[in-house]
Amino acid sequence: MNIVFLTLVLILAIASLTLKKSIAALISFALMLLVLGLYYIALDEKLLGLFQIFVYAGGISVLMLFGITLIGVEFPQSKLNPWSAFFVFLFFVGSVSLFFANSATLDVGSLSNVEQKELFVQKYSDFVILFALVASSLLYGTIKMVKVLAKGGK
Amino acid sequence: MFEIDVVFSFALFSIGLFGLVSNKDFLRIFFSLEILINSVILLLASSAKYLNLPDNLPFAYMVMIIATLEAAVGILLFGVANKMTNVVTPDNFAQKGALDE
Repeated sequence: MNIVFLTLVLILAIASLTLKKSIAALISFALMLLVLGLYYIALDEKLLGLFQIFVYAGGISVLMLFGITLIGVEFPQSKLNPWSAFFVFLFFVGSVSLFFANSATLDVGSLSNVEQKELFVQKYSDFVILFALVASSLLYGTIKMVKVLAKGGK
Repeated sequence: MFEIDVVFSFALFSIGLFGLVSNKDFLRIFFSLEILINSVILLLASSAKYLNLPDNLPFAYMVMIIATLEAAVGILLFGVANKMTNVVTPDNFAQKGALDE
């Protein structure tokens, strides 16, 4: 079942980067995010899956739709460099072989799901403050950047 | 199995990397960046599940939140830059005078 989900994710990812029609690419991108969210739910990480579906498959896709209204129906043409494909393939083979060469050192713990969630809440509830800090700083930076760009435009 | 997830997340990362280096328009660069980030989140989530590493989950949430904000900021900047210069590829910004004082 995992393989079906993940194969679908890969196919949709390739489609979102290769389709020429922008709306079709966006739909495949949103479907890829949706399938990933469903996969997280199947992994029993329900909150992560729901977050993925609501935020990514919903919010980010709509944001990309706004971007598409600026680009138009078709993406501009770009030349593919065969060397980049070769190097990316080399990267994939190297990273997978590196993982399997060192996979014996992975330590598998023995915590149950309930214990994991308790540990998560105990350790990381303060992370909300960090999230708020990051979000507010990014928001502030965006507002400043828009002001600077608007001045440059005038 | 964790190994399958690792292989697929590396494959997803490679697809995103290929899209990042081979495309020149803004939107496909954003697609590629999101694919890269999603591969990392997939690896973190599957390692939290299969290796009993709950410490990875907060990082997955953090990466997801930062990626969301990054996409929002990026699309906003793209919209502003496109309105100013009417170009959709980052290479042409300097030629169109968008980066001038």
